[in-house]
Amino acid sequence: MSLFTRNVVIALFITGVIIATVIYSVSYLDHQRIVELNDIQNRLATDTLSIDTQFALLEEAPCEDLTEGTALTHELSDLGDKLAFTEEKLGATNPEVLRLKQQYTLLEIRDYLLTKRLANSCGLHPVIALYFYSNTPGSCADCDRAGYALSYLRQTYPKLRVYAFDYDLDLGALRTLVSVEKVDAQLPAFIIQGKRSYGFTTLEDLEKQFPKSLFATTTTATTKVKK
Amino acid sequence: MLFASPLIMHLEVFAYPFIFVSLFFEVFLLVTFFSSPARAQRDRKASTKTPYIAMIVPCFNEETTIRGTVDSLLALTYPKDRLSIVLVNDGSTDNTKEIMDTFAGNPQIQILHKENGGKHSAINAGIEMSPQAEFVGCLDADSFVAPDALREIISCFDNPRVAAATPAMSVYKPETLLERMQNAEFIFGIALRHIVAAVNGLYVTPGPFSLYRVSVLKEIGGFRFGHQAEDMEMALRIQRHGYEIDNAPRARVFAKSPQTVRGLIKQRTRWTSGFLRNVSYDYRDMVGNVRYGALGIMILPLGFIAVAGGILMFFLGLFMSGRQILSTILVTSGVPLSYTLSPRSLEIFYFPISTMLILSFVVTGGILMFMVLGKRVSQTPGTLVQGMLAYLFLFPFIAPFWLLRSFADVTTGHKRSWR
Repeated sequence: MSLFTRNVVIALFITGVIIATVIYSVSYLDHQRIVELNDIQNRLATDTLSIDTQFALLEEAPCEDLTEGTALTHELSDLGDKLAFTEEKLGATNPEVLRLKQQYTLLEIRDYLLTKRLANSCGLHPVIALYFYSNTPGSCADCDRAGYALSYLRQTYPKLRVYAFDYDLDLGALRTLVSVEKVDAQLPAFIIQGKRSYGFTTLEDLEKQFPKSLFATTTTATTKVKK
Repeated sequence: MLFASPLIMHLEVFAYPFIFVSLFFEVFLLVTFFSSPARAQRDRKASTKTPYIAMIVPCFNEETTIRGTVDSLLALTYPKDRLSIVLVNDGSTDNTKEIMDTFAGNPQIQILHKENGGKHSAINAGIEMSPQAEFVGCLDADSFVAPDALREIISCFDNPRVAAATPAMSVYKPETLLERMQNAEFIFGIALRHIVAAVNGLYVTPGPFSLYRVSVLKEIGGFRFGHQAEDMEMALRIQRHGYEIDNAPRARVFAKSPQTVRGLIKQRTRWTSGFLRNVSYDYRDMVGNVRYGALGIMILPLGFIAVAGGILMFFLGLFMSGRQILSTILVTSGVPLSYTLSPRSLEIFYFPISTMLILSFVVTGGILMFMVLGKRVSQTPGTLVQGMLAYLFLFPFIAPFWLLRSFADVTTGHKRSWR
């Protein structure tokens, strides 16, 4: 075997090892992301169940002891950010991403219901926005812009609670929510303070749909709304 | 969502073959760097032999540099009675003739003024004026040699199969960012030539200070027109005749480099189109031919791949960046800029690690490593850091222009002037 041939064979082997190592490392890091998301999700599931249970136990005077619900919502939106990043990286059809997204959506629905119950029982007035989007290519031209505008609003106004749902996600609870709230497949779709609206034009137009009380305060929190 | 087609969404897949080839070639270079022929090349001592050598300096309008070039040749540590310097004025229209004539009294120097006939005709005329030379060297009139360069390069010819030897070329006193960038690239070239010579894969004997065995030149014929890349044509002809081209990594020569981006693009267009024309037209049979070993199987095909890859990666980068910028503008329009520009989370979770990103870093790191190796092996003076940075951030934006221009020239048959 000539020196050239020998070196080509060695180089091919080493190149293969380098590429395999890089692929393995990236895949390991992606897996670690999934593990982290799982951990957050499990913790949130326990927290949500705990608050739900406390709510049931303290039927008479739940309001003083359930203030942690707000922190839970913030953590939920942080999980949403991470899940959106993972989805972008691994693809919307990745089975792990889909599983996590389904669990996340369930947590969102539970938090939404809990927030509504707390608001009714404790006389709170959170501003709630349900946002329905689609990741299917070509099915929602304005979803990117709408999601970005909602991220901005949520960061700027602390009283705003945004729950973002992938309209195409195959999940019974989500289908029920869509049915209960009578959301048509014209995306992006919003339910702001119980009022349905479809489509996105500008940030100003979106802002008009929120109550004026929302714009009285500001914050420095940084969270992003999915899509 | 913009550009929703899956193919367009994942355009980066087209970059993977080029990243693989680049990585493989770098690993091959590194393996060959540590193999015995390359080590022997580095360990070789400067020769004490003193065969008769003629150094030919072909000149065309080199009034600003010719004096320095001749002075550096006169300062070579080589017996004066064994070295003749032949200055060939190839029909210069500036003051080159007058400056050349000031050397007329020097017994080591011969001067010839002739009508313009191209670089190859000037070198051939110089060879004819040195019938007693065992070896002839060429030195472009904008280059300057280190005093020990000749003793370093002549040692390559201890092997009788070696027909030509190449030096270690860097930029003469690089000062501007553009010069430093070219210097870093040249020093990368030092490592590349040193290593590729170990598997006899060189296809160019650069104008600045390559040396030739006269008996081989007589056998295969003198210099001829080579699509403005006569040194490449000669090297390919040497290889086709089964001879070897060696490299002397410590035979340092310093060449003046283009001062402007426009000048650089013009020079590199000449080199690249010279490569494409020589190899595509006159030496096509060598490409992929196992008879020519590393040169035929790997180096020449990679030359084409480098041109194609450079053009493709440029357009790919341009398209993907454009798409990203356009998408960002569309998505963020209407939202206050202060929000868009505010820093996002620095959590490690969001660090965009991908296979493409890491492999790109590895390949880039490899290039920088070979620059350091080239500098160490050749003992080239000066600092490299600024040049490396300039190479990383400027070169990728300039090189595509000469690649595209060369490709367009070759496909349309367009010929450009030398300057």
